[in-house]
Amino acid sequence: MTATKKTTTTAPAEMSEAEALWYSGSWIDRIPQWLSISVFGGAFLAVWWFVAEMEFVSRILLPGPSETFSELWDVSKNIFTGGHIFEALWITTQEVIWGFLAAAVAGFVLGVIVGETRLGQRAIMPYLVALNALPKVAFAPVFVAWFGFGVNSKIVMALFIAFFPVIVDTAAGLGSVDRDTLMLFRSMEASRWQTLRKLKLPSALPFIFAGLKTAAVFSVVGAVVGEYLGGGKGLGELIRLSAQTLRIDRVFAMIAYLGVLGIILFGLVAWTERKLLFWHKSEVFEIQGTG
Amino acid sequence: MTTSDSGIDQTGGGSRAVDHEVVTITNLSKTFHKRGLKALDSVDMTLRHGTFTSVIGPSGCGKSTLLKIMAGLIPATSGEILLNGKPVTGPRQDIGIMFQQPTLLPWRTALQNVLLPIEIRLGSAAAQAKSDVALQLLELVGLEGFDKVHPFELSGGMAQRVAICRMLVTGPAILLLDEPFGALDELTREYMNVELQRICRERDATAFMVTHAIPEAVFMADHVFVMSARPGRIAEVVDVDLPRPRTLDMMTSPEFGALVRHVRHRLDELGGIIGAQQ
Repeated sequence: MTATKKTTTTAPAEMSEAEALWYSGSWIDRIPQWLSISVFGGAFLAVWWFVAEMEFVSRILLPGPSETFSELWDVSKNIFTGGHIFEALWITTQEVIWGFLAAAVAGFVLGVIVGETRLGQRAIMPYLVALNALPKVAFAPVFVAWFGFGVNSKIVMALFIAFFPVIVDTAAGLGSVDRDTLMLFRSMEASRWQTLRKLKLPSALPFIFAGLKTAAVFSVVGAVVGEYLGGGKGLGELIRLSAQTLRIDRVFAMIAYLGVLGIILFGLVAWTERKLLFWHKSEVFEIQGTG
Repeated sequence: MTTSDSGIDQTGGGSRAVDHEVVTITNLSKTFHKRGLKALDSVDMTLRHGTFTSVIGPSGCGKSTLLKIMAGLIPATSGEILLNGKPVTGPRQDIGIMFQQPTLLPWRTALQNVLLPIEIRLGSAAAQAKSDVALQLLELVGLEGFDKVHPFELSGGMAQRVAICRMLVTGPAILLLDEPFGALDELTREYMNVELQRICRERDATAFMVTHAIPEAVFMADHVFVMSARPGRIAEVVDVDLPRPRTLDMMTSPEFGALVRHVRHRLDELGGIIGAQQ
């Protein structure tokens, strides 16, 4: 791997071999990436500023970058001094974390049942697939009716939206085990439990983490949708109220904090994955690529 | 004939002069009912202690099926396999097996991979207690100091050496090798064959190897079983009298060439590699 990469000197190091094979050189690769990102972001801000300044759209509906950033500053001050936006953000954070954890546990357990038992494959999976095809957001009023206007209905909404990818990826991971290795375990007279614990579950971890990363993003979606539709005291409710009073700059600022929440949760899952899956191909190539 | 298995040297380390039969197969047949395919038809064979047997045949001749039945991984339709006098009815601790892929668990170190069969059968404590045996095995295959290394840091040949250790750690009476070096490049493969010969000789092992490379089959074996396809049968047993230890130089000798030619002609007469393709 390493040797091949070194001989194809024209292709950037982060490219896979297949990509490098068709690589014919691009001007963008001669610019450092931080610079290209900054230039692109700057261009976006410039267009935003221009559109807002020219008032193609009413400034109330589309605040410019300066208003938005000054509002972001006010919102940040409120959050870091423990104001009411901080309290709302904290409530939403709790909903997201509990929703994510519930989705991870429920998705994992159901995924093992579906992936490991014939009953699960034949009888339970079809229902889960049908359930997944439903517009899950439509259940929000039902959860509010069942679990009230507090955090519980939002946690259930986050769980409901986030757990399906964990099921599917866990089941797929359990089925991904190499046939010869399964035969090896048979030849060692491994019990079903031993095969699951020592072979199938570790092999499935890369898949499970892919599902968890999706769930991390989806649980933020679930909690916010729950708040939009079911009230409560979270950030979603504040956003809804701000939009009603046409404080779009404040909406943007609070959405930025929801983004931070999602990125931190995603980052935590990705960090755990890197620590745990040092042996996996996607990690191994990084190690060899630097050596 | 072995009458009791208590005399079998489970470590495989001591050399026993007795040329007893380790594996006896009588009238073994296998039909896959779903496809109505007769994979094996009345196979008879005897493997004597300390001998190396190669099985060669066109693809689809049932040689891998035969190996899996011998390993107790799939049942035979009829016939009997005796290993040290006891019928093989399922996987057993005294059967060692190795595949074309190393099938190492990537999250375990080389040492933990070698100890896996002990851990599965007897638990972690027993595996821990066998650590020094596993370390000796790693030394035997030339991987001294690699015990804490993970598989992704090993080359293909090194990974297969770890797989050899894992196969040997339970002290099996028979080694079943399913194209063990088929996924390696030619140079590594030849080298690994020489190494495997050395290991088998040091441990006085009885080995049974499936391959589809004629020179490899001849180079490794005391007896080459030539199989025909559909139904799978043993068409001929070719005895290889070349002296041991064999060296790669021998592969250019006229005697070696004659044996390879003989096996190749026999395979051609049987419909050959091409004739057997589906």
